[in-house]
Amino acid sequence: MDAVEKANAARQQQWIKDRKVGEGTYAVVYQGREASSGRKVAIKKIKVGQFKDGLDMSAIREVRYLRELKHQNVIELLDVFSSKTNLNLVLEFLDSDLEMIIKDRSLVFLPADIKSWMAMTFRGLEFCHRNWILHRDLKPNNLLIASDGHLKLADFGLARDFADPGYKMTCQVITRWYRPPELLFGCRYYSTAVDIWSVGCIFAELMLRIPYLPGESDMDQLKTIFRALGTPTEEDWPGHTKLPDYVPVGQFPKPPMRDLFTAASADTLNLLAKCFTYEPRKRISALDALSHPYFFALPYPTHPSKLPKCSTVANKPLDEVDANVDMNPTGPGVKATSKGLKRKLASPTEAKARSIARRLDFSKAPPSSP
Amino acid sequence: MNVGGWLQGKTIKKTGASSSSHTRSSTPQQVQSTSTTIFGGGVKDASGRVSEFFSMDDQCPVSPAITKCVCESCIDRLFTLGPAPCPICNKILRKLAFTPQTFEDLGVEKEVAVRRRVAKEFNKRREDFPDLRAYNDYLEEVEDITFNLINEIDIPETEARIARYRAENAALIELNIQREEAYAQQLKEQEEAERRDREMRAEEFRRAEEEEREEREKGKREIIDKLETSSKDAAKVIKQTRKNALKRSQARSATTTQLTSNSQLLRSRAAQSTNIPDVPHVPLQDHYYAYEDKFTLRPEGYQDFLSEAVRKDREGIMRGGGYKVEEAWERALRSAVAALDLPPLSGLPQPPSRVDQGGDVVMAS
Repeated sequence: MDAVEKANAARQQQWIKDRKVGEGTYAVVYQGREASSGRKVAIKKIKVGQFKDGLDMSAIREVRYLRELKHQNVIELLDVFSSKTNLNLVLEFLDSDLEMIIKDRSLVFLPADIKSWMAMTFRGLEFCHRNWILHRDLKPNNLLIASDGHLKLADFGLARDFADPGYKMTCQVITRWYRPPELLFGCRYYSTAVDIWSVGCIFAELMLRIPYLPGESDMDQLKTIFRALGTPTEEDWPGHTKLPDYVPVGQFPKPPMRDLFTAASADTLNLLAKCFTYEPRKRISALDALSHPYFFALPYPTHPSKLPKCSTVANKPLDEVDANVDMNPTGPGVKATSKGLKRKLASPTEAKARSIARRLDFSKAPPSSP
Repeated sequence: MNVGGWLQGKTIKKTGASSSSHTRSSTPQQVQSTSTTIFGGGVKDASGRVSEFFSMDDQCPVSPAITKCVCESCIDRLFTLGPAPCPICNKILRKLAFTPQTFEDLGVEKEVAVRRRVAKEFNKRREDFPDLRAYNDYLEEVEDITFNLINEIDIPETEARIARYRAENAALIELNIQREEAYAQQLKEQEEAERRDREMRAEEFRRAEEEEREEREKGKREIIDKLETSSKDAAKVIKQTRKNALKRSQARSATTTQLTSNSQLLRSRAAQSTNIPDVPHVPLQDHYYAYEDKFTLRPEGYQDFLSEAVRKDREGIMRGGGYKVEEAWERALRSAVAALDLPPLSGLPQPPSRVDQGGDVVMAS
């Protein structure tokens, strides 16, 4: 046994796998604990050898960036070791995610709770951006909540560092509902502003308790955005018509945000609008957002330990640690397609109702016509 | 007559132009009076008082500075034009120093005023001291100062102590004032929330009652209708309708419990907030040093070959998508500065000695 193997074996013995909590295409997730302290951890075993290109890209990204990032609001990668032909990532164990909390109808959010979550999200994101890393997959599902209430950014499977000047990046990132318009227009040169748009969507979702911009396809996503925020003009966003996949989707007027977010304060709407600025270069940065009056105004952000928590903890502990393993084969960042749309449910009944109404009209028409 | 007065630019009293119609409620405007001036209200005596001082319904303002009783119109008369000597003790006083009397005993009145003034600045709390002993010492000192001020012992020395304290603790005083304001604000909000909650519940209750009444009426009508139209046994029809009504009311009460549990939840959350206080927002909770003192980005940018494509991007594809070449420059500079702990070059066309200082290294990284 050479030195490397010995070191690896020593590492492996520090962690104990308890039970399997889930399996995806690329990885199996176990709940485990640290041998010395009994601290709960999540162990993500990445399957190797099954793919001709070697390791899955997202695993490489996750290790590469999480190894560097250590912050209160970013998930901690505790250790990496190999077992047989597999790669194991030992991650901090977090019991729930923001999506579960948003969906749990038995919970009531106070404005101060939303402020607290937003502050923690921005802090985590600012830390990534400060270290020149774009997250590129922010959504409630990837914001995990620790047992003490702290929110942590997770799933760095799509993260990358800032591109060098003139270097192309893929635009097929970020789950569709949280994807900014510049990526939908196929832009290959972008910046931190893409993450801010996602945070804006999450902010709105926290207030509405349903996704703010649920597009059904990439095309429909643009339409949904413009319907909600108005079609941008050349003044709003210089140069957007020159983007590679630009297509005019129709003119929509800009409805006042106040109509939808009826209970929000002026500061809240101001910050929200700054996250949804069309011109990416003018969109607020994470650092500036943290100094926005919204955060300083009363009520103060709720102390993390008092934030609402899911009553049914450990209901699905798989998804949170494993969020990037159930990737759609068509490419990363399009997860929403496979899950089906929440909004769709309403439409079939609606359609039926309409057809009945029409039929009634028809039956009444003949007697009057002759 | 009034109008004439206006047009001629004369000084007019509120209640009328003639001085003979002067009443006590109005304030005489001409205060630059010599001892020979005659007022409508009365003749000024040697002490500067007016005969109407003795009126019983006069409010009696008190000056904390010298603790005495002067009637309101005298104050108006004597001090309208700014500081003036007091008619009794000849100290220079201001109108602002007079306050309406709350307590019958002027000693109490003065003590309250002094305590109010002292409390405004000596507002430290128990949390501001490392141990109870220090806090008690501080309280004793405050009491000393207050006592001195009330009994007018060593006034200049005491004032100096206050000034010293104020200078030393300016930041803390300000902070504590803010804390108190925030606390007051919080109380107000909590009250407001409770009031809204109460209103909501009352509204809910009213609505439920209304609904129930309608329900009963409907049930009655239904029975009558059914009895009219159907040929079934009357008793059976009534039984069936009653059963339906019961089912409906049960369904309704289920939804109300959901609502009440929500409001209960909110209330319990509000109660909880007193246990662990929410702290004001702090933008960054870690100590982040970005080497901002070691370099500044050139506002006109850099002519490096890497960013050439972006700089020549006429179509604005890169700019339209939000790519910021400044970030790349900043990253390069910050990484270099952080790694070498050296300030970068301030510009290329510099004396050769500066360039030799290691400029190559900075550019290369």
